[in-house]
Amino acid sequence: MKNPVFKRGFMIMTKIVKFFHEIGKLKDMPRRGWVLIGEKNPASIMDHSYRMAMMTWILGNKKRINTNRAIKIALIHDLCELYAGDTTPYDNGFKLPKDKKEWPKIFDCWPRFSRQEKINNFTRKHKKEQAALTKLTSQLEPFLKKEIMELWKDYEKGTSKEARFVRQINRLETLFQAFEYSKQSKKRPYHSWWVGAEEHIDDPLLKEFMHEIAKKFYPKK
Amino acid sequence: MSEQKKYFLTEQGLKELKKEYQILKELRNAKTKGEAPNVLESEDLNPEYLSFQEDLEFLETRLTELENILESFSLIKKPSKTDAKKVGLGAIVTVQVNGDKDEFTLVGTLEANPALGKISDESPVGNALLGHKVGDEITISSPVKTIYKIKKIRYS
Repeated sequence: MKNPVFKRGFMIMTKIVKFFHEIGKLKDMPRRGWVLIGEKNPASIMDHSYRMAMMTWILGNKKRINTNRAIKIALIHDLCELYAGDTTPYDNGFKLPKDKKEWPKIFDCWPRFSRQEKINNFTRKHKKEQAALTKLTSQLEPFLKKEIMELWKDYEKGTSKEARFVRQINRLETLFQAFEYSKQSKKRPYHSWWVGAEEHIDDPLLKEFMHEIAKKFYPKK
Repeated sequence: MSEQKKYFLTEQGLKELKKEYQILKELRNAKTKGEAPNVLESEDLNPEYLSFQEDLEFLETRLTELENILESFSLIKKPSKTDAKKVGLGAIVTVQVNGDKDEFTLVGTLEANPALGKISDESPVGNALLGHKVGDEITISSPVKTIYKIKKIRYS
């Protein structure tokens, strides 16, 4: 069978299949934070990326940004976690209580670090994730490999306005999910994600969105 | 017409943006001097060509964005001795939150990276800290009440 796309050597089908098989595993990789709060059916890394991409598209339309690029960033931003694993700020030298039932309590407070500790944590994570993404994309055609890596580096550094927007969407999707879990379980309000978001979100539209989420889920005192 | 946004930059941030602008300009020149992949004869578009076009489009957008920033930025300068007692842009602030110590550098939105401790002056916390002195307690209570007690302010 001659397919013009492959005739041009665009990509070798077996490598595409392998790539999609690999990233499909992210559907079964639970996000670390939800495991720590003891969720029985925790959202996966792919669940998170999918809703982020939708939020980027819908909210991004209200901004002067290149939504195509922003959606791509949302889709690839956590691919590296397939090999690097998902980590939370609580994994940076934070001692988890021995009793797993006590773990959700740590989410009452946002973890605090010195400036140097933050730099060290970021650098360590960045190196590990870059190596993971290099491995994951190694079989792709050079132009795709390059594009994915450049989008990821943009996200990490927050160079473009698209990357800065998606980084804040990342916070908000997580906050959204935390509130949903909190409401479902009726256990804890998980203050941590809200406090973290207040230090991260600076886009006016996303600040408005954040307060709408709070209105929906947070009980009025 | 909406007013152009003013961006606040540290010297380091400005240096990096200027460097990026030069690199992207050189890249654009190289790309437009015949490096475009050929569109092969087929009913399908060559993906490498599409990627090249997108690259070029992004380059142009980013260059325009950088030009706008470089035309309208405001440099974050070291404050006077009196102003250095207050939290302002460029300040490295040590705070105590719920008994734990944290450190932030207050920067403009373009340089914000909370994972590295750089928070934007337009974020709720960054904005609330502005103008405060050592010993002040800032309460942010929408909807979670968090108290930030300022322990130290310094400028590098």
